[in-house]
Amino acid sequence: MARVIRSSAVTLAIGYVLFGFAALVLFAAPLRYAWQATVEDFRVELLQEDTQRFVQVFKLRGPEGLSDFIRERVSMQIAGERILLLTDASLHPLAGNLRAWPQGVPRKPGSYSVPIELAGQLTRVSVVRTTLPGGYNLLVGRDDRFAPIERRFWEGLAAAVAVLSVAGLLGAILIRKALLARIHSTQQTVAAIMRGDLSHRLPVRSGGDELELLARTINRMLEQIEQLVHGVANVSNSIAHDLRTPLAELRSRLEELSLTRPAPAETFQEIDSAVADVDNVIRIFNALLRLAEIDAGMRRSGFVEVDVADLAAKAVEFYLPAAELKNVNISFREPGAVLARGDRVLLAQAVNNLLDNALKYVGEGGKIAVEVLRQADGAIAIIVADDGPGIPDAEKPKVAQRFYRGDVSRGTPGVGLGLSLVQAIAKLHDGALELTDNHPGLRAQMILQRGTLPEPAPVESNVTAADYPVIISSSARASTASS
Amino acid sequence: MKVLLVEDNERVTRFVVKGLQESGHTTDHAGNGRDGLFLAASERYDVIVMDRMLPGNIDGLTIIEALRKAGNHTPILILSALSDVDERINGLRAGGDDYLTKPFAFGELLARLDALTRRGRQDATQTTLEVGDLKMDLLSRKVTRDNRSIQLQPREFKLLEYLMRHAGQVVTRTMLLENVWDYHFDPQTNVVDVHISKLRQKIDVDSAPSLLKTVRNAGYMISAEPVLEPSGG
Repeated sequence: MARVIRSSAVTLAIGYVLFGFAALVLFAAPLRYAWQATVEDFRVELLQEDTQRFVQVFKLRGPEGLSDFIRERVSMQIAGERILLLTDASLHPLAGNLRAWPQGVPRKPGSYSVPIELAGQLTRVSVVRTTLPGGYNLLVGRDDRFAPIERRFWEGLAAAVAVLSVAGLLGAILIRKALLARIHSTQQTVAAIMRGDLSHRLPVRSGGDELELLARTINRMLEQIEQLVHGVANVSNSIAHDLRTPLAELRSRLEELSLTRPAPAETFQEIDSAVADVDNVIRIFNALLRLAEIDAGMRRSGFVEVDVADLAAKAVEFYLPAAELKNVNISFREPGAVLARGDRVLLAQAVNNLLDNALKYVGEGGKIAVEVLRQADGAIAIIVADDGPGIPDAEKPKVAQRFYRGDVSRGTPGVGLGLSLVQAIAKLHDGALELTDNHPGLRAQMILQRGTLPEPAPVESNVTAADYPVIISSSARASTASS
Repeated sequence: MKVLLVEDNERVTRFVVKGLQESGHTTDHAGNGRDGLFLAASERYDVIVMDRMLPGNIDGLTIIEALRKAGNHTPILILSALSDVDERINGLRAGGDDYLTKPFAFGELLARLDALTRRGRQDATQTTLEVGDLKMDLLSRKVTRDNRSIQLQPREFKLLEYLMRHAGQVVTRTMLLENVWDYHFDPQTNVVDVHISKLRQKIDVDSAPSLLKTVRNAGYMISAEPVLEPSGG
């Protein structure tokens, strides 16, 4: 992994340096061209003007006169500033500051740039060659006055390249170091997770750069994975723990039947009980499978618009006769349609479980209050409050655990999966199950779609406590008294 | 009735065939998808019980789709170990008429087969239902027993309507939950029984035995004739 990072950092640096070079070339090339064009033209023009003057002198005074003129000129000027040479037809020097006709100057008259030895140094010089009447050759040249500037230009360019290269190299080292440092912690975390400790998380600093964003996303993923893994572990533990009891009962029942071989009537009764035992095991399995299905988050794809208030009203209506039998009063409040995106079957099951739970624990003549409301933050709350024995604070966090059954509930039927199912369903709908004290009793509050904005429905406006219409309120006393 | 059972598990097959035989029905059996499709297409059956997962490259849903495409409208009950709600919907979408999850009680299967075969014969334009002297007017939504009017709440009306449409047949708790309350899950309580006994109180008269009978280990039945099973409640 480190090798990949090293090469990727270096590749990045090299890429940037090359890009810098390209930018430099793009900048320098036109400059150089412009220089060439302007300065060269100007230089040649000057030389040609000089040449014209010498040609005038030749025309007025002949070769001798021009030789004298050139000698006079040469003695006046600084050596090397200007190149002057007059030769006869066979290129023998007659006058000038060059000892011999320089090689490399073409035969034809014109302006050239040739290397000439000046003061023991080979220098590139612009010259104009002219052929005078009588075969005389005149060479007028000028030492390059702009050479130092040009040299500085090239030096500057070289310096820029050097700075760029060093910066690139340094950058590569720094980027690599920073990346390695960041990757290193990630690597360690991942290694720890691979060793089986899922509680590790990537370090996240307060800054919000891209890597932090990635780290945060990975952390969320790890959280999800941890929950799933723990869920699976919990389920297997629970299965091992809680299916063992009914299976052991079933086994002893059947074994006893096989050993004692009682009368047919009793045998059939025992067989019926065994079938009921198996049904109970199947029920636990179904509940567990449903939980696993929900935990895996698979059902979210099938979400539709569901009126939660309607679901709750139906559930209340469904449990009303059972409540009447127990002389329990169920009241229901809703603000009108409360739409949520969700799974209709699961939500109905969750609401029914809450009601079932409340009805199971509430005492004779007790009260259950069901309420659906949309909170100010847009979340939907389904509240089922009873005045039963409630749950001690210490046990509250535990009751939603799979198969957990509080001390109060021992002796009442049920498999202890009801509230964990509700919690899983609430979680699937971006919510939670909150259990609080109802003084006395339990107040179970299922929250859905927490953190989503309220829909632009008029429902929001009439969420004031006084407005709730009481849809169903049954005083069961009268009807149960007669039965 | 004549039943085609397409199922590869021998024990389930024996269990279903024997149960149907004892209830007075004849059963043909196919152990794989190819035979199942052949029998279903060539013979006339009152109802088909189709396992979803079958050996022989043709699964239950494929057979159902093929039959429906060929214009065969024999009622089909899908039998499956897949219990997801989505799987159920897939099964019904493919053309199945009902869906039962394994493991199942035989009483549940029989009640559902009865309901499926009866459904085919039922007159959809019927406006009144009658069981003995209990009458239900589907248009005015009035229920009378021996010309005495009975006040029912909407859900009670729906419950009684479902029972009366299946008069003389056993109706299970699950069937009631699915069809009356649209609940496709197990509420793990005896709430349905409470609804039934409340309905029974409303429709019964002191002078006659209850029309709404409890069938042990199976469910309920509304019928004017006395049944051998002792009626509950």
